[in-house]
Amino acid sequence: MIGPKRFALIALAMAVLCASAPVVAADQVGPQGDAVNGKRIYLKDACFTCHGRSGQGGVFRGPAPILAQTALPFDGFRELVRDPPGDMPGYSGAVLSDKDIADIYAFVESLPRPRSPKEISSSQ
Amino acid sequence: MSAHRRSPQASRRNFLKGAGLVGAAAAVAPSAPANAMPAIQSEKSIAALPGPRQIAAETMPPPSDPVNQTSSGGDFMTDVLNSLGIEYIAINCASSYRGLHEAIINHGNNKPEIITCVHEDIAVHMAQGYAKIESRPLAMACHGTVGLQHAAMAMYNAWCDRAPVIVFGGNMMEADKRGPGADWLHSAVDIGELVREFTKWDDQPASLQHFAESTARAYKIATTPPMGPVFIALDAELQENPIPNAESLRIPKFEQVIPPQGDSAALAEAAKMLAEAQNPLIVCDRVARTPAGVARLVDLAETLQCGVIDYRGRMNFPSRHPLNQSFNRALIGQADVILAIEMNDLWGAVNTFRDRIERQSRPATKPGAKIITLGVRDLYLKSNYQDFGRWQDVDLDIAGDGEASLPVLTEAVKHLMDEGRKAACAARGQKLAAAHLAMVEHSKTDAAIGWDASPITTARMCAEVYDQIKDEDWSLVGTTIGLSWPHRLWDFRKRYQWNGLSGGGGVGYNLPASLGAALANQKHSRFTVAFGGDGDFMYNPGTLWTAAHHKIPILYIVHNNRAYHQEYMYLTAMAVRHGRGVDRMDIGTTLIEPNIDYATVARGMGVQGEGPITDPNDLGPALARAIALVKSGEPAVVDVVTDPR
Repeated sequence: MIGPKRFALIALAMAVLCASAPVVAADQVGPQGDAVNGKRIYLKDACFTCHGRSGQGGVFRGPAPILAQTALPFDGFRELVRDPPGDMPGYSGAVLSDKDIADIYAFVESLPRPRSPKEISSSQ
Repeated sequence: MSAHRRSPQASRRNFLKGAGLVGAAAAVAPSAPANAMPAIQSEKSIAALPGPRQIAAETMPPPSDPVNQTSSGGDFMTDVLNSLGIEYIAINCASSYRGLHEAIINHGNNKPEIITCVHEDIAVHMAQGYAKIESRPLAMACHGTVGLQHAAMAMYNAWCDRAPVIVFGGNMMEADKRGPGADWLHSAVDIGELVREFTKWDDQPASLQHFAESTARAYKIATTPPMGPVFIALDAELQENPIPNAESLRIPKFEQVIPPQGDSAALAEAAKMLAEAQNPLIVCDRVARTPAGVARLVDLAETLQCGVIDYRGRMNFPSRHPLNQSFNRALIGQADVILAIEMNDLWGAVNTFRDRIERQSRPATKPGAKIITLGVRDLYLKSNYQDFGRWQDVDLDIAGDGEASLPVLTEAVKHLMDEGRKAACAARGQKLAAAHLAMVEHSKTDAAIGWDASPITTARMCAEVYDQIKDEDWSLVGTTIGLSWPHRLWDFRKRYQWNGLSGGGGVGYNLPASLGAALANQKHSRFTVAFGGDGDFMYNPGTLWTAAHHKIPILYIVHNNRAYHQEYMYLTAMAVRHGRGVDRMDIGTTLIEPNIDYATVARGMGVQGEGPITDPNDLGPALARAIALVKSGEPAVVDVVTDPR
């Protein structure tokens, strides 16, 4: 049974993830993560396999959302890692601690904003 | 390939010839050393030496044993293939069809043109790729047993992809004609049984006239929607021996079947449902068989001003058309009437599925939504292989070829369009156009994420390629799993600009099928480009030798993520589910240590290779060099080291 708090978090998370362009959340409050360690975990524990090394998103069975500069608040991000709604497997505490998730969150927050399409290719 | 030649018949005449030679040799041979192999001595002692009269009598060629012939059954078979307009026959040479092979070269003057392949899987996949561009099949030939087993996976891909391919497999039907060894190993009682569950039809002709009629029938069955592969067994003696009754042989008159149009009353009912709908939606997969198919689908969509979600089994709908909503699948949940045309997996399109411990699914459609199907896919199904997918309830099920039925359906819709409906349609169309435009802009922004990263993002790889070929008459004929960037960023308009995927998901399709498509594009002077995974590449790298040998121009981009990446993700999901060992999922899934240098592999096959490209700033110049080469008529490979997806 999904409680109201979890429902709200997932609804917010899905709304943010479904917006394909990365946006910066106005009010993101979360624990201070270690972005360097977050990058290490992101690559070691295979987050990059679906979401890309640059957090650009990708495809598993369906689209894997963009994570670079995610607009999700930390709580929503952690909720999605623990029990995601689609085909993504839920990462339990045995695989990723809350500290690990905080570090990953700090890493995806630190990823650079995309360059303007106009400056990178004439076909863009 | 088996390179064996048939052993000489152990006839008495040959035996005595040998004995005579042995006898003569024995008279002049030096004495055997003491440590000589005893078997040689033993062989010499077996043949009793005959007298001169017996030798003379036995070595005279009997009238019933001719050594030359002026025609062969293979000549007639070649004429039959040419009567059907088959341009090419992709082969991996094999003694069980040596009669036909020789006849094509000498009687047909290499017409159909032989395309030499180094594996049967390559030959069939080339035929699949060719057929989807050229709208007609080429032939493929192989050993009937060992060769057909190699060919089988590619035939399964063609079956699932509903692509016409005509496969010939050598056999030797009469047991008493088989020589020892390979003739037996390469013969079967029912050779087509191996592939019968994923071919539309097969036969083993017992006479030349039987061959002619069965080959014409095979061509007809393969090219009649729903299309698919067919198989014909070639008896060796039928190919090789003189034609016994030339005056009575007849090449059949062939007429292509006109694809079936759906029932007119049913199409009228579908038109009424669509015209009255608030939010109609078209979903499609393999609609366009010919260039007319694209135009017909556009006409229907524009008449209704409804969204089109193209699952891209073929090039069905222009990617930049304002009504193209292929990346807006939420529309499925908003539609009140869904028209599904030539869908391969309708259930998968209108339901959601979660691959979790308890696999869950639910309808993606809104309650009360009506589903209309139009297509021929279900007219020919088989039992064993489950490629037909899960049952889906529908409200109106019309059997008829999508492309053939569209004009009648669209005219019926137009008749129902009064001014009020036209206004509503126009308003709907404007909203969809705005959504399409937003999707295009989002795609451009999304593609810029990680633009300067190494490994190179797949978005940048696709954008850079398009940047350099967009002014060519290009044809994209291959892509990797999940690589949607071309359809998000490129402007697809013409039918030959896309030809779909493997069908059965059998890895090893992409490189040879792309080359087959390039073969079809060559005479139209189109610029053929394909993306292919590194894992796929390694199944059939020998395809590049065929590209070089036959000078087939193609720009082949290796999407080198150094892994069987889809499996890497599936394996990770397993480890996460089990709560253990997530950091070791590279075992058995990655292609590293050593990294494979695909450019060097290509050069070894006679194809120019660029790469491995790891710095994104090196990609543009490498592509420019490769493109120049392709435009000069050569194949080229660019190995791009990429992020996974």
